[in-house]
Amino acid sequence: MRGLSVYPARKFLPLLILGPLLAAGAAASADPDRAWTALADNRPQDVLRQLRPDAPSRADRLAWAAARIGAQPATDGNMREAEAVLVELEQGTDELAAEAAYLRARIYQLHLNEPDFAKAAQLYAGLAQRQPGSHWAQLGLVKLGLLKLYLLPDVSGPGADRLAAAEVLLARIQEPLLRRDLNLQIGQAGIALNQPQARFLPHLIAAEQAGGVTGNAQEDLIVQIGVLSERGGDWARAREYFEKYLAAYPLNVRAYAIRRKLAEVNHRLAQEGRP
Amino acid sequence: MRRLRSRLALVLLCAAYTASLFWVFTRSEPVIRTREVTIYFAHWQIERGPPDGINAAIKRYEELNPRVRVVQLQIPGATIYPQWMRSNLAGETGPDLMEWGAWLPGQKDIPARYFTPLTSELAKPNPYNRGTSQEKIPWLDTFHDKLLAPKRDSPDPGQIYAVNITECTLRLFCNVELMKEILGRVVVPRNFDDLRQILAVVKEYSRKTGRPIAGLAGSRDTTRAVAESVLVAPLMGVNQRLDDAGFLYLYNRQMLAAYLAGRWRYSEPAVLAGLQLVRETTMSMKPGFIQLRRDDAMIEFLRGQALFFFYGTWDATSLRRLAPFKIQPMKLIQAMPDDPEVGRFVVGQGGEGIGETALSMYLNKASRHPAEALDFLKFLTSVPGQQLFTDASLWLPAVNGVSIPEEIRNFRDYQEGLSFGQAPYDALGTEVSMNWDRNFYYLTGDNGSAEKFAAAMDAAMPAAMRTDLNAELRATLVLVKPQDPVIVGWAGLPGERARIRREESEASQTMSEGLALQMELQLEAMK
Repeated sequence: MRGLSVYPARKFLPLLILGPLLAAGAAASADPDRAWTALADNRPQDVLRQLRPDAPSRADRLAWAAARIGAQPATDGNMREAEAVLVELEQGTDELAAEAAYLRARIYQLHLNEPDFAKAAQLYAGLAQRQPGSHWAQLGLVKLGLLKLYLLPDVSGPGADRLAAAEVLLARIQEPLLRRDLNLQIGQAGIALNQPQARFLPHLIAAEQAGGVTGNAQEDLIVQIGVLSERGGDWARAREYFEKYLAAYPLNVRAYAIRRKLAEVNHRLAQEGRP
Repeated sequence: MRRLRSRLALVLLCAAYTASLFWVFTRSEPVIRTREVTIYFAHWQIERGPPDGINAAIKRYEELNPRVRVVQLQIPGATIYPQWMRSNLAGETGPDLMEWGAWLPGQKDIPARYFTPLTSELAKPNPYNRGTSQEKIPWLDTFHDKLLAPKRDSPDPGQIYAVNITECTLRLFCNVELMKEILGRVVVPRNFDDLRQILAVVKEYSRKTGRPIAGLAGSRDTTRAVAESVLVAPLMGVNQRLDDAGFLYLYNRQMLAAYLAGRWRYSEPAVLAGLQLVRETTMSMKPGFIQLRRDDAMIEFLRGQALFFFYGTWDATSLRRLAPFKIQPMKLIQAMPDDPEVGRFVVGQGGEGIGETALSMYLNKASRHPAEALDFLKFLTSVPGQQLFTDASLWLPAVNGVSIPEEIRNFRDYQEGLSFGQAPYDALGTEVSMNWDRNFYYLTGDNGSAEKFAAAMDAAMPAAMRTDLNAELRATLVLVKPQDPVIVGWAGLPGERARIRREESEASQTMSEGLALQMELQLEAMK
């Protein structure tokens, strides 16, 4: 048996063990999208295992901070760690800096145990001031709009116009889909905040016309515009949306009621000489 | 001689070894054929029918996809499934595809935490529909109701998390022979008052003959079904009054907030009228029914001790296979404006819509084979897959274009009329639902009344509604927070698909955030 010495195998043993590990490591670093994919798949812990907060690449540091925000346990300590990285990353003028600033505002708005809405609003506003054309600044304006509608109203009390502050922000949003999202939120907030219909219905119509609302929200929106228009006496608009609904959802549970309403508005229009 | 034997043995050994090597390297196959991928499909539909239907679809799918094996897991529903689901999901050992229902107590957060949205997949045609009437139609639009329940039950208004396998409605299953014996002929109730008369005759017949025959087979579960049906008509006016948003539909969160704002009460006249109808119908059940479950009611009916069994068409196959008598499914027609008892509260003909697809299957976020699991889901909800399912289960298909067997064709004969989506006054949330059951004895029996029940409910509801609205809020926030890193992830990835996913995630996160803020506002206002 001595002739079949295990010495050569022993000699290469470390290589045999380490080889595959090294190969795996090499393969990992060759895939720059791995961390983004893990984040998109909602696997922040995988990113934390792959990356470090002091990674040489700014993009890697941003991915690490995003993962720190998303990973459990979501303690304030972890949020502060993420924020420290984001503060450093937002010192720039590129899109990554804007993304870091946006995420930092999100920490204050949503991820701390005791959110600081005023601070979040200040960060969104600052970002929009510095980099108004950035996607992240534009998205931040949508979130700032939500804060203004519900949590940080410029005005309060019965009869106060709670939508105006968000409408001012709307004018600064250039991206059509983000404008649509804020329009939709202003419209829905108008109902929740008991605002006059004339103030919020145009926002719902604008959101619907922008298109691309997904899930049940689209169906709800079409019914809603039709029904609210009917309630407001805008028969022509009500007919337009009832017809739109029946074309898109002819068999839905609400179709029977919509058909009845359509017949009613057609009758009204005929009475007014507008068949 | 002994040496020769040893040598012979050695030669034989070497020959056998050489032959084995030859076999292994040239033509060996595993003793048990295994497939590369195994996906697990878990549900609680252990009634007669669905397991057969799902097996039929699996068999064909495995023929089409030799590398995939699909294992059907049938987990008893009422008490075991929720715990089993929760513990497996938490431990990341859950099956790839799972059934979930919004009414499962304490499980509201499950989709947001553990399931993957299917919205973008639903926008594309189902490849297994090639060559059928549903070819080139977006997957979502192939469903008979365009997935009403998964849209309604989604924690995120911009996303759809499930696809449905079947379609169900509620029917009054009648023991034809018993009806002939009691009434002399088969009488199909044309309105609620007809049913009222039939139930009265059954009671009288039972008294006269001394036979224990109930009008309706009784149990806690079937009572819920009865209540949700008979409450619709008298409460339509209340629903319309509460519909500020103009959806012609009320989500649980809206009902809960409206109650907290003092905009409806169980003790208001229209709700009392609805409760009176629930009382009337349950008075034709045997005493003690509230302690019984669906299976007990079914046994009572199968023994010929009840004229009707009112429950879902999901039980039709079991009833047909087990009953020694002929069964005729009938509709429970809702009370009309001319109803002598509650007509003044009824604003119009109540409807069933177009039925609602059900048996919602969700894709586990932690699935090890998401592509294969999704592919199987597409097959199961394709025209060919659904045809196999329907033929073997005698459950309605969820998609269009499937030929429906004669025996179940009339399940799709729906009552047209006004409908307000969900708004089940008995099950707005876990706490409301528990209080409904806990206080139900106030409504039934000789000492019960609608007023006593309403008073008990209204005493318990402020706290219960608040807890349930808080649960809705938590379930929404569970969805909102993890979206921030997800959006960053999609933004970092190149390509059109990543851009679309980022945009969808941003839009649905904003919608959910808006809803959460509305709920916070409502809770804050009611402090």
